[in-house]
Amino acid sequence: MQNVNSWRSVAAATGRADRAAAEAGVRRAYRTAGLAGPDRIIWAASPRAAVGTVEKLTDAGRSVREEVRTRPWADERRRMYDELGPAGWSALWSATGAQLWETTAALAERIRTGIVADLAPRPQDEEAVRLVLLDAVLGQHDAAWLAAFDGQGDRLAGLAEVARNAGWWWPYENAVVITERPDVLHRDEAGRLDHGEGPALAYGDGFALHAWRGMPVPAAFLDELPSLTPERIRAEENAELRRVMLEYYGYDRYLTESGAEPVHRDETGILWRIALDGDEDVVMVEVVNSTPEPDGTYRTYWLRVPPTTWTAKDGVAWTFGLEGAAYAPVRQT
Amino acid sequence: MYRQGDVLIMELDESAVPAPFLEAPGELRDGRGRLVLALGEVTGHAHAVQGPGRLIREAGRFGPMLLHLPEGGRVVHEEHAVIPLPKGWFRVVRQREYAPGAVRIVAD
Repeated sequence: MQNVNSWRSVAAATGRADRAAAEAGVRRAYRTAGLAGPDRIIWAASPRAAVGTVEKLTDAGRSVREEVRTRPWADERRRMYDELGPAGWSALWSATGAQLWETTAALAERIRTGIVADLAPRPQDEEAVRLVLLDAVLGQHDAAWLAAFDGQGDRLAGLAEVARNAGWWWPYENAVVITERPDVLHRDEAGRLDHGEGPALAYGDGFALHAWRGMPVPAAFLDELPSLTPERIRAEENAELRRVMLEYYGYDRYLTESGAEPVHRDETGILWRIALDGDEDVVMVEVVNSTPEPDGTYRTYWLRVPPTTWTAKDGVAWTFGLEGAAYAPVRQT
Repeated sequence: MYRQGDVLIMELDESAVPAPFLEAPGELRDGRGRLVLALGEVTGHAHAVQGPGRLIREAGRFGPMLLHLPEGGRVVHEEHAVIPLPKGWFRVVRQREYAPGAVRIVAD
């Protein structure tokens, strides 16, 4: 568990790369693969910039990603699978890599999507960019599977050293292009990209992604959030953006200003319903935290539940996957 | 049935525990020797159980999970009061929130 947390930090690390350490890791990974080190190691400010650098490389030779990254990884996986058996491997993965997989894989995919959107505005240009992205080793964003192999031998030590000290990298026979880590990374409690006041992910050269609770949003959309009004929210035709507006504005504030009435009230909380034109109703349970805040007050919060919900208790029970009748905590804090 | 913030812990009769899980290996403990039921990805705050026992993940990153406490235990969290649990088996469920076309997990 300890090493999972250290790899969790690696995946989320921001700030300047330790270039000397990362380059030592690159050379170690080449040596482990039985390759001569690259002649050149070229730094780029972001994965987007790196794609441009890779496209302009001359005399780099073929990609050695297979030898440097994929084959050692597959060999180690096979060795440990044989040693631990299917159940043992599954337990190890579940305790290590699986904990980080979803958030890091989603982040890497968002970065790829952002790069393609920036560099290939025409669909016919996409393939060339995607081909370059296929050659990338993900550095810090390989943290999930590196966590599973941590402490199990030194065959992946070079890859791990790069991951701890830098971002994505592209290994070729004669050259390596390697990137800095992001300067900015904001995520919510569930690990999704999330920031209402600027980019959720930003690299030093300006390559950035904007998102609200994981949902990609245009940068200009965020600028509008601080000046929202209930009328503007109602007028928004894109249902996804309207949801973001509602969350940013605050359901409670919107409820107050739109004169909404509670639909139902019981010992678990209060059920609210807001009708929206052209979209399903927003139905929420208002519940009070059972543990007081440090100042002695109790925090009220809202959880959205399916529009088919008609009692507060059914709503709270739904949030835990239960029927209303089955929900009966004897103690809550 | 016990609730600590966004985690619900339901008592489960041993006869209702699927056979493969009765002897299944449990999750590793964290650096403080605890069984972590749910971890806040950013704050590092955790719903965790102290004391002997096993936590078995059934499927997926957010569970559900099975918890076996042969001697009972205590659920702790940085921002919630402690909940003592009797001995036995439990199913642990994370709170979720509805989003049109999707369901997402709540994290406090």
